[in-house]
Amino acid sequence: MNVTEYIASGILESYVMGAVSDQERREVDCLSSIYPEIKQELDQLSASLENYALLHSIEPPPQLKASLLEKLNFDEQKDRPETIVRPMPVEPTSGPTFQVTWIAAAAVGLVLLAFSFFLVSRLYNEQQTLSSLRSANSTLQTELRQLRDRQQRDEQTLALLRQPGTRTLELRGNEKAPNGDILLYWNPQSRQVAVEVRSLPPLQPDQQYQLWSLVNGKPIDAGVFDGGNAAPFLQRLNRPIGQADAFAVTVEKRGGSPTPTLSTLLAMTPVKS
Amino acid sequence: MVSESVLIEKLTQRDQRAFHWLYDQYSPALYGVVLRIVRDEEQAQDLLQDIFIKIWKNLDAYDAQKGRLFTWMLNVARNTAIDALRSRKTQPTSAIRTDEENVHIVDRQYNTEQPNPEHIGVKEVVSQLRPERRELIDLVYFNGYTHEEAAEALNMPLGTVKTRIRAALQELKQLFKS
Repeated sequence: MNVTEYIASGILESYVMGAVSDQERREVDCLSSIYPEIKQELDQLSASLENYALLHSIEPPPQLKASLLEKLNFDEQKDRPETIVRPMPVEPTSGPTFQVTWIAAAAVGLVLLAFSFFLVSRLYNEQQTLSSLRSANSTLQTELRQLRDRQQRDEQTLALLRQPGTRTLELRGNEKAPNGDILLYWNPQSRQVAVEVRSLPPLQPDQQYQLWSLVNGKPIDAGVFDGGNAAPFLQRLNRPIGQADAFAVTVEKRGGSPTPTLSTLLAMTPVKS
Repeated sequence: MVSESVLIEKLTQRDQRAFHWLYDQYSPALYGVVLRIVRDEEQAQDLLQDIFIKIWKNLDAYDAQKGRLFTWMLNVARNTAIDALRSRKTQPTSAIRTDEENVHIVDRQYNTEQPNPEHIGVKEVVSQLRPERRELIDLVYFNGYTHEEAAEALNMPLGTVKTRIRAALQELKQLFKS
């Protein structure tokens, strides 16, 4: 603020003359308490007017003083309580209440905000836990299924092996299937045959493996079975085999052939009695 | 000479001697101002009593930070007298003064002006003030005219009134400095 300009504006002169609005009066009061230059100018102007007023001094009648003192003493006793009792200012009390209300509202708002953040983070955590639980659950289910399958296989194998007289034969692949390996479970009394494919090369979709039992040099159809990973662990063959000197495996068309194709012979093993 | 701060302290303690001193010291100045405003001796005397009662009762309202005690008292006196003058003017029963009467009142007022030994140089100082500036000061300060009212009464632009008030007070300031 330019103090010099403000002083030169003439508002201070109007102020001391009592010719300013209430707003201007407050402005001058405020500024004069801040700027010593304004205060000084105001004091000088006031002093000038005081002197000007003094110039017009007229002695009041002497009896006026006595009368005034009488009134004052009288008034003092009667009116003093009245002058002392003043209505309580309203603003200061309403101010703090207003502030307290705002502070309380802001506090409640903050608490709510914090609480909702807490809830959202909780929700996020719960969702994460839920999804990890879900994946763990599906893993467990997969493992359970695998275990169940294996158990079923083992039970089948065991059931077959438990039967008295069941024999276990291993058929190893020849040069056409160097890694070929089949376990054969055969019970001559119940005439049941089952194969467990440990390893066989995969076939065309229209092909299957066929087991043959050889009795007195004659091949007898002992049933078809599948190789590869999709094949069940233990495959029961539905041909009753009571006798066999040897077993052989060939590759035939799906469903099996009445006579073995010798060129596709993969494995053969004799049955030792 | 009692210093103003001591005087104020004694006054707020309701020291009657301080009040006596205050009255003796300032009643002529306040009476002069009030008489100049209302131009009626009887009313001026009643008002002067009211003014001193007001001052005595409202001493708590006086703020030494905001201005000098005498200035404050002058303002109390001026406002009280101007209010009285205005309420008298708005009273429907009051007779409208003719110019003749005004002249008479002014004459009487000037006649009652007694030679004050303390302020012998009154006429000299005032005579140094330019008449149009003095007129303006008297209108605003003694008659409580607003800038607008003064502009209308003196038939001059508002801006000129403001400028002249400043010039008049600056001149007054210089006069009392020397």
